[in-house]
Order: sequence, then structure tokens, then C-alpha cells
Amino acid sequence: MNGHTLTCENLTIGYESALGEPVTFTVPPGSVLAVVGPSGCGKSTLLSTIAGVIPARSGRVLIDGVDVTQMPTHARKVAMVFQEPLLFPTMTVRDNVAYGPRRSGASASEARSTADELLSWVDLAGLGDRNIDQLSGGQAQRVSLARALASDPAVVCLDEPFSALDAPLRSRLAADVLALVRRTGIPAVHVTHDPDEAETMTLNNSSGSILSL
Amino acid sequence: MTAPTWLRWAWIAPAGFLFAFMVVPLVSLAGQVLSPGTIEYVSDSLPWRVAGLATVQALASTAVSLVVGLPMANVLTRYRFPGRRWALALATVPFVLPTVVVALAFRSLVGSDLGSGFLIVVLAHAYLNMAVVVRIVGARWSTIDPRLDIAARTLGASRWTAFRTVTLPALGPAIASAAAIVFVFSFTSLGIVLLLGDSNTRTLESLVLRQTSILLNFQAAAVSAAIQAIVVGTVLWWAARTRNAIPRGALRTFRLRRPLGSARWAVGIVVAATVVIVLAPVSSLVWSSVRSSSGFTMSWWAIFAGFETIDAGSTRIGSPLSAMARSLSFALVTGLVAATVGGLAAMSVLAHRLGRAFALATALPLGISAATLGLATMLAYGRPPVDLRATGLLIPIAHALIAVPLVVAVATPTLRSTDARLVTVAATLGARPSRAWWTGYGPTLRTVMIAAGGLACAVSLGEFGAASFLARADGPTVPLVIARLLGRPGEASFGVAAAMAVVLVVMTTTLVAAVDRGGRRS
Repeated sequence: MNGHTLTCENLTIGYESALGEPVTFTVPPGSVLAVVGPSGCGKSTLLSTIAGVIPARSGRVLIDGVDVTQMPTHARKVAMVFQEPLLFPTMTVRDNVAYGPRRSGASASEARSTADELLSWVDLAGLGDRNIDQLSGGQAQRVSLARALASDPAVVCLDEPFSALDAPLRSRLAADVLALVRRTGIPAVHVTHDPDEAETMTLNNSSGSILSL
Repeated sequence: MTAPTWLRWAWIAPAGFLFAFMVVPLVSLAGQVLSPGTIEYVSDSLPWRVAGLATVQALASTAVSLVVGLPMANVLTRYRFPGRRWALALATVPFVLPTVVVALAFRSLVGSDLGSGFLIVVLAHAYLNMAVVVRIVGARWSTIDPRLDIAARTLGASRWTAFRTVTLPALGPAIASAAAIVFVFSFTSLGIVLLLGDSNTRTLESLVLRQTSILLNFQAAAVSAAIQAIVVGTVLWWAARTRNAIPRGALRTFRLRRPLGSARWAVGIVVAATVVIVLAPVSSLVWSSVRSSSGFTMSWWAIFAGFETIDAGSTRIGSPLSAMARSLSFALVTGLVAATVGGLAAMSVLAHRLGRAFALATALPLGISAATLGLATMLAYGRPPVDLRATGLLIPIAHALIAVPLVVAVATPTLRSTDARLVTVAATLGARPSRAWWTGYGPTLRTVMIAAGGLACAVSLGEFGAASFLARADGPTVPLVIARLLGRPGEASFGVAAAMAVVLVVMTTTLVAAVDRGGRRS
């Protein structure tokens, strides 16, 4: 499988003071690292540090062996899916998904076709022209997932993306994410406060693992 | 809800007031515009040339207001830091300052050599109107999820691209609204342009004043006012049709964020700039009121010790203290009339099926410039056969007309948010309809009316445009005395004007602060 590898070496996180001990882990291509822990322990801060939204206090973040610790967020190719879909309110569904490809230099028609392909993959083909307020919560979260994938990321960070959804939808989206990770070889870091969800995400993935903060 | 019968007829008094003092004067003005000979004035190049000059000036003023106001809006409405409330209040202060005070403050800041012309007028307009940008754009910015910016950056957008592609489109309608309002204020500016402008920095408003009071050509003035009304109407229509880009369901107010990293620097710089920008002209004004060529002096403040008249040759200045007393009495009458008329209008909005339409009608005076209002009022009631100028009532009436929309805007939402079930509870406990209604709404109404009356007083104290048309030569208001003093040479005139302006600043800001405080408490 041609994929990417995420490595964090002695990474200390936190803005004003360090949150917890330094962490070291590697997420191989196509696998999921589930990060669990109580509220406030730094799960989301870890994802923000990997994405470069918050600077690391110490240690290194490497993608495919390249040190990206000092690299700005937009250059890292680390896509995030948040607890809420956070779709851009002034854009249609398709424009939201096409946003990443456009930033990578794709033409409008290329970005549009990538967006349509990914919308089909998340079972939302035909909804591209809708405004985001015309989507249900589950649909919006699937668009958010498609948007993250469309940017051709090297790593996907999932910050409790299923917590606002009902149980059947959670299992459906979890299965979608696992299928995606297997198919593309993109390593995923999945933050959750729910140990059952962490197990589901890792046990169904041959090289999945759990990190407790 | 058991509404008392009289409430259904409460609209008659405000409707009558608007008819008598807005519709009748505007009809008189329209009569002037539509009378024979108008075509001669319409084809005259002067009003069109002045409209062109005013457009360029208003566009520049709008651009500078946005450049100054947008960073303030971002920092003051989205980040949490000690003193944020004070900084936001400070950024709003210039908007409540009388225009003549701002003109005088800028003149004292830059000196008389640089004290007139295009640049200083644009800067003074930006100073006055940056609060419009901060308030309108800031209100929208606080409803945009800050994490959208992060989401965009994780998808490959740089900070600037994320702002340009995600934040800016969401802010677009708010920026358009703020820009339209600033444009209209600058395009119809009178006080600033009269006191700081030169022959190439004029507005139709100043032309109307000149055509009315010096050339006594009411028909030409009416044509200029009509041209101005068309431009203003077009700009406001454009702003109103700007589509709201964010779905209503996506709007909510987000908690203020603590600034981290480079944002701390941005917050520090913007707050420091806000303090310097707002306080520099005001401090300079205070300094001018205690300074003479020989050093520190309190001589200029001596005018408040008696009713001495300042006269120089043909320039009639009058007694500053009499002007102060006159302005205060006008402000008091304005407050009473505006609170009564606006209060009744707000109550009608609450009680009537056509309330919304009525609320819209009461907002109409906001779209009429001070000079148009002053000219129209003078045409209807300021000359025989109906000359009310001698009664001293025209100025407070014109000021009340300007203040009524503000009173309605303050009172209506507060009354709407009152729990109507209290009236029902009172009625079930045996209260008659009027008593039950008062039990439910009375306490709120009383607080709101006092606050709204205070706001109307503040408007009246600093109003310059309408008073320029309606005041008699021997009965000027404080802003008019300040303007007359500025037209005279000599440091004494400037010093006395500065002392009067400082008093005006203290009075208006105290009133507005009290209203703001009362409003927040209620």
C-alpha cells in the first residue's frame, strides 16, 4: 500500500503550560491511532499541534520522515474533521468539498469533478448544489469528511467527529472512515472520549492502536 | 393579552407628529422642486459638480473608516482581554461627539495651517464613523465560527487566503451595510465640511445651507436637496438589497477567545491604536481650552462666570452662557417630545397589527439629511404665514424628529422582550385593563423612556445641521456658537470655543454613558 506515515517524537503539547508527559508514537500507512482520555487532558490540543494550529512546546512531528514541526498549517497536508462539521457557510456543498483542491492549484473543473467523486463516495451525490443549511447533521458531517479527503491529505485528524450524531449514524461513519483509511493508506488520528468508539476504530483496523492521555 | 382600548389609538399622536413635522415640510419642499423654473436649476452645473466632489470625499472617508474600523471590529468583538469593554466603549465615543466638536478637535490637533482641506475632512469623517464599522461589522464577525479559519488552513489555505475566501465573504453584507451608512453620513456631512473644508471639499448639504441662508434661493436649495436625496436613496437601496450570505441557521454568537501567540500582539497594537486615535483629538481639545500663547490659562473658562456677549464687528456670536442655557432647554424639550412621541410609537408597534409598518414609518426621518429637514421645516413653518421661529419651538421639534427613530429603536425591542403574561396575571388578579397593562409593561417602559429621553437630549445638544437653518441670529445653540467662534481670528475665540466644546463633550458622553448603563441594567 502506498501510504503515508505520521511520527511524533517526544512531543510536548500545551499553549501556556505543558499538558501531560511527552508522547512518542508512529501511525503507519492505513492505520488508525485512537486517542482517549478525560476532558481537558489535551486530546484536541494534540491534534491541533499535529496540524500546526498550535506550536509544539518541544519534540518533533514527522510526516513520511520529514520534520514538519515548524511548517505552517496550510503546508503540512494534515486535514482535520471536527466535532461539528464547520462547513463554510457562504459556499454550496460542492464548493466546500472543492475548497482543498482549489488551494492545491486544481482548476475549477478539476476541483468540481474531485468534489463530485467524493460526494458520491459519502453517498451524497446530487446534493452538490445545496446550501449547507439544507443538510441534516449526519449529511453535513459526511460533507466535512469528504472535504477533508478532497484536499489529498497526508494525515487525517478526527476530533470527536461522531459525538454529535446518533448511534446508527456513528457506526456508519466509523465504517466509512475505516474503509477510507484502508483504501488510501492515509494514517488517521482519532480523538474520542468514548473507549468503546476507540476500540471499534482500532480493532477493525489491522494495525490500529490506542493512546491514552 | 388584555390590552386597554386606548392603546389601540396610541398611534394617532406619533402619526400626527410625523405628518405635521415631516410630511408637511417635505411636501413644501417638493412644491419648491416642482414649481416652474426648476429645470434651470437642474441644468445648472454647480449642484452636480458639488455632488461629484462630495462623492469622491465620501468614498475616501468610507475607505479610511473601513481600514481603521475593521481591525478594531476584529479585536474588540472577538477576543477576551482585560479592559475589552472599555476599549469598545472608547471606540464608540467619537460617534456620539457633536460634529463641530470633532472639527474643532482636529483643527486643534493639526494646527490652523493644515487645518482645512480634503485630507483633514476625510480623517475627521473616518474618526466620527469608525464606530459604525466596529459595531456593524463586529456584530457579524462575532457570529462567525473562529474554527472555520482553522478548517480552511488545514485544507491548504494560508492565513490570508483563509480570510479572503472564508471570513470576508461571510462579512461581506455587514461591510456593505457599514460602508453605505458611512458613505451617506460623509456625503451629507455639514459641520465637518463647513469648519474644515475648502472650496473643493464641499457637500450638497453645505450648498443647500449657502443657497438658503446667504443667497436666499429656496428653489435652488430644494433642487440641491433633491439631488442629494436621490444619491442617498440609491446608496441605501443598494445596501438593503445586498443579500445575506450566511444562512440564518448558521448564525450564532461565539464565546470570546483568549488571544494566543501572535494574536496577543495584534490585540495589544489595536487596543493601543484605539486609545491613541480616540483620545488624541479630544486631549488636544482639552489642552487648547487651557492654553494661550503665553502658556497655561483659565481665561477661556471665564465665560462660564457670566452672561457676557462676545461680539466682533458684524459677526454676531452672542453670549456663550446664554447659548448653553438655550441648548439645555432645547435638549430638555427634545427629550420630552421624543420620549413621548417615540414611546407612544413603540407602544403602538406592540399593540397594533400594522405595528411593523408603523415602526418603519417612524424610522423615515433617519433617511432625511439635517439640511433637508432644516430647509423643509423652514419652508413650512419658518416664514409667513406660519412663522414658528420666534416661538423657539422649531429647533426642539426638528431635533425630536431626528431622535424619534432612535427612541423607537431603543424602546421597541425592550418592550417586546417583556413577558406579556404578566398583564394576563394582573388581569386575573382583578386589575382593570389599563392597570394590568401598566403592571406588565410600566416598569420597563419607565426605564426605557428615561434612557431614550436622555439619548434624545444628547442628540439635541450636539446637533448642528438643522439648527443652522432654524436658529435665529440672536438665538444660537452651543454648536452654532462654536462654529461662529471658529470663523473668527484670534486665540481667544479658539480658546473659548475649545472650552465650550469640552463642556459639550462632557455633557453628551455623560448622557450617552448613563443611557448605556441604564439600558444594560434594564
